[in-house]
Amino acid sequence: MLFGSGWGDLMDRSEIKICVLRIEGTNNEDEMYYAFKRLGASPELVHLKDLKDVFDYNCLMIPGGFSAGDYVRAGAIFASRIRAKIANDLHKFIDDGWPVGGICNGFQVLVELGVLPGFKRMDYPDACLFLNNSARFECRPTLLKHENKGKCVFTRNIPNGEIMLVPSAHGEGKLLLPRQKEKEYFDRLFENDQVVFRYVDKDGEYSGYPWNPNGSAHNIAGICNEAGNVFGMMPHPERAYFDKNKNGFSGMNLFESVLKYIEEK
Amino acid sequence: MIYLKVEIKVGLKEGITDPEGLNIKKSLKLLGFDSVESVEVKRSYVIEISGKDEKKIREDVDMMCKKLLINPVIHDYEVEMIK
Amino acid sequence: MSSRQNVFEIDLDVSDEKLLELSRKIGIGLSLEEMKSVRNYFKQEGRNPNDIEIQALGQAWSEHCCYKSSKSLLKKFIFNIEVPQNIFVIKEDAGVVEFDEDYAYVLALESHNHPSAVEPYGGAATGIGGILRDVVCMGAQPVALIDPIFFGPLDLPYEELPKGLKHPEFLFRGVVAGIRDYGNRVGIPTVSGSVYFHPGYTGNCIVNVGCVGIIKREDIVHSRVKELGDIFVMVGGKTGRDGIHGVNFASAELDEDSETSSRSAVQVGDPITKEPLIHACLEVNSKKLLNGMKDLGGGGLSCVVGEMAHAGGFGAKVNLENVLLKEKGMKPWEIWVSESQERMMLAVSKENLNEVLAVFDKWDVDAAVIGETIPEKRVLVYYEGEKIFDMDSEFLTGGPMYARDVKIVKKDQKDIQTQKPEDITSILIQILSDPNIASKDWVILQYDHTVRGSTSLTPLNGDVVNFSPQDSAIVKPVEELNKGLVISTAVNPFLMEYDPYWGAASAIDEIYRNIVAVGGKPHSLADCLNFGNPEKPERFGDFYQAVMGLNYATKDLLVSFSSGNVSLYNESMIGSCPPTPTIVGIGIIEDINKKITSNLKKEGNSLYIIGKTEREFGGSLYYRILGVDGGIAPKMDPQNLLNYSKTLLNSMENGITVSCHDISEGGIAVAVAEMTFGSDYGVELELPNIKTMRPDEFIFSESNSRWVVEVSNDKEFESLLNKNKVPFMKIGKIKGSKFLLKQNGIKIIDITVDKLRDKWKNAIWERMG
Repeated sequence: MLFGSGWGDLMDRSEIKICVLRIEGTNNEDEMYYAFKRLGASPELVHLKDLKDVFDYNCLMIPGGFSAGDYVRAGAIFASRIRAKIANDLHKFIDDGWPVGGICNGFQVLVELGVLPGFKRMDYPDACLFLNNSARFECRPTLLKHENKGKCVFTRNIPNGEIMLVPSAHGEGKLLLPRQKEKEYFDRLFENDQVVFRYVDKDGEYSGYPWNPNGSAHNIAGICNEAGNVFGMMPHPERAYFDKNKNGFSGMNLFESVLKYIEEK
Repeated sequence: MIYLKVEIKVGLKEGITDPEGLNIKKSLKLLGFDSVESVEVKRSYVIEISGKDEKKIREDVDMMCKKLLINPVIHDYEVEMIK
Repeated sequence: MSSRQNVFEIDLDVSDEKLLELSRKIGIGLSLEEMKSVRNYFKQEGRNPNDIEIQALGQAWSEHCCYKSSKSLLKKFIFNIEVPQNIFVIKEDAGVVEFDEDYAYVLALESHNHPSAVEPYGGAATGIGGILRDVVCMGAQPVALIDPIFFGPLDLPYEELPKGLKHPEFLFRGVVAGIRDYGNRVGIPTVSGSVYFHPGYTGNCIVNVGCVGIIKREDIVHSRVKELGDIFVMVGGKTGRDGIHGVNFASAELDEDSETSSRSAVQVGDPITKEPLIHACLEVNSKKLLNGMKDLGGGGLSCVVGEMAHAGGFGAKVNLENVLLKEKGMKPWEIWVSESQERMMLAVSKENLNEVLAVFDKWDVDAAVIGETIPEKRVLVYYEGEKIFDMDSEFLTGGPMYARDVKIVKKDQKDIQTQKPEDITSILIQILSDPNIASKDWVILQYDHTVRGSTSLTPLNGDVVNFSPQDSAIVKPVEELNKGLVISTAVNPFLMEYDPYWGAASAIDEIYRNIVAVGGKPHSLADCLNFGNPEKPERFGDFYQAVMGLNYATKDLLVSFSSGNVSLYNESMIGSCPPTPTIVGIGIIEDINKKITSNLKKEGNSLYIIGKTEREFGGSLYYRILGVDGGIAPKMDPQNLLNYSKTLLNSMENGITVSCHDISEGGIAVAVAEMTFGSDYGVELELPNIKTMRPDEFIFSESNSRWVVEVSNDKEFESLLNKNKVPFMKIGKIKGSKFLLKQNGIKIIDITVDKLRDKWKNAIWERMG
């Protein structure tokens, strides 16, 4: 690695600025902050009100919680406020390849923003994270199988097929796509390598409830956009940061992956 | 300028399974209401608004739905003007 | 002073009868004696009081605010126990106890019974709001919530429900939803709790709520003003008519009309206002901008201003029209006593005021300057330029204190012989599907217990979708430390009903066991004493006995009560609740990676019992199932408990004990069954001949100071326990996939773990869906 040469070298870890975006009711921001801090990056908790320029940061993260109480719909109010404030900048940020991630409520926000699954640029949602089949909030451990083949910049350091125990805690996590385009959309998700995590049982099979806690089609727990730099998932890798599986992988590797990507970008 | 009270009812599109409705139906049956055929959950917003005329207000309401109140993947909505 | 449109002078110079009627009519619930001393006070002042002054006294002197029935007993027997880890306890809204040299933890526990009985969803939700404020007002970040809740039987036939009461199932559903929606939204994990069903709660459900917080010791802030000129800044939610007379409501029995007449005593919570309020309060505190902070809970402004000023040695002057209101047309006295949620009071010096206001502005949280401290120890309230309230703060906050009559009703406890049941397997199934034993996952999984990413041991732990209940939860409160807080709760209402003294002592024993079972060292306690009407001598006798039992069990255990709450008058037309001293215990585990869980780990490992099993069936689940009333209540010996606990912790540290579960209701059988549920294994148990007991009695006895442990090295384990003179018994090993129990080669219980688990898991789901 070269220092101070200004061309083609790696970015210094501590210079990587992560915007952990919040509004009232966002409440998983501290664990998201530490997820990056522990790896040597420079996260900042930023209230949407105080966000000046998203390009001040190398990565935008939307943490979990109940933004604005999840009134109206999970993530809807936060999404419409982001759209009202920085819609154009956000699209440019994404087009420039900077990573944008959402966990739990953050995933719901990215879907409501229309940037996931992100088949085309749109200003309204093209998917939905709908009420769990059990019709209730559930907090339980879930087993996730990593299925991405290398597109998603948040999981490149996790081998394909790796199974990890990650807690889920949500009431609205069932991924729904528009009915008239359902098959086409799911085919595209798989063909484009946009499926990142799926719920499995102990044998690695795609089983039903409670292994799949919400009834999500194809047991999908997390997806990315076509370019792989926008990513959302319902379960909480930041809460499974130190719980390594038998091959040594844990939620930490997800944050490590995106930092590596930024360093090399 | 006119002043209107508008009710927006947001419901699920046909064919979208409604776990809340199904659960409520189950609970009602448990309470002995065996004749319940179906339960549909709708959310209603009553908005007081002023505008140039009814047409402008209706346009605003449609924008509100599009921008925040509904997710077109799953939702339908009806608007009723209450004077 | 003149009476204006909004303030009425009240004439106290009337007959005693009228005086009492007045107290009832304006809803303050003061007794005749209390009304008389109010009359005397104003005679000395040479005037009649205004409505706002009488209302303020009604608040300040309620049982809920001044503990007039319980104070003298608690001082003598509960709060006099001192231990070195306490930093300061009891005197403020929450107890503060040492975590390490830099950090302290804060503990608070409260009841929210009466509001929850009338409006379960809102009542339970605002309970959480209140307890969070108690912790935040010490300057601490909340890190865990605890919810012990108690209801009548879920299968109570509707036609047996007395008029004016709500069905236990409705209350249960509503309370759980309230805790879920508020706790989850505010982002603090609900990690511990308990759910009990007992007929005595049909008329009075009990909803207790506890909170633990963490704070840098240098940031601790007190619930009082500091110096002359301190400005009172009221922050958070606006003030409305909701929650007027909540404390008077909490200090009276429920009657048929409570449902309709008390609705205004229930407040409406707003977690999305609370969350930024917490952030803002903690931010101004960590910037050292505060002289004092206190939450507005029971009694509202009326209590908080008087208490903060008085505790700091000053008086206060308030301009009531500066209070931000939710609705127009509120009378001054309503503003003064409203218990609207999400409000805090700050004491700020003049030079810090602007900075404080700027922080609240940043978080979009309302803040209003409403008054200041004055040198005279009086509370003065002005409204639109006119003085409408002028009272001595000592008189206002002092409150009466009573020595209530005590009548001790003791059951004649004798050991009795029972008929040996034919089929012990089916008894075990019956016990495991009893709602008090059955899995509470219907409740627990609705609460977010992993938010904040610091929960190291969740209340249910095991094998992804199959869980063993854990005796305590563990939270890691400080980023840079691996040290954890062990959190648990205990009380057994059936035992309390049977024997309040030993029931209370047993609750202490159980909390101690629970903490030790996961590898923690017990460190401090909080109690919430839920009892019936203290004016009835036999009820107060129960209270007295429970207090004495707590005192006996606790005084030698090197732990003490750092915080507490008393809720009396839990009594309706169908009687009192069982005596319910809910205990919350906090322990310390030096390294969370060394925690011990209850689910079984490895086939072939041995199972042992630590402690002595006696013929103690009084108040036991086994006798309830057999339909037998009688027997001897479990006793406990603090010295034995200390010694057993120390030895058990030692065996855990040395890696000899690899799983552990406390033995409580349902005895050894339930403990072992629960250990199998979160694992892939079964057990083969072989009991020796026991002189005093049949095998069924042995496995269902509820003696105290016992654990089931899974041991990886029998020899080392036995020599360690022998060396420390701790009684133990090997009962079998982990093997196969059945729950198999034999004595002399004869099978007593023989059933697959899967079948048992299903019964245990489904009992509450089948009812609640």
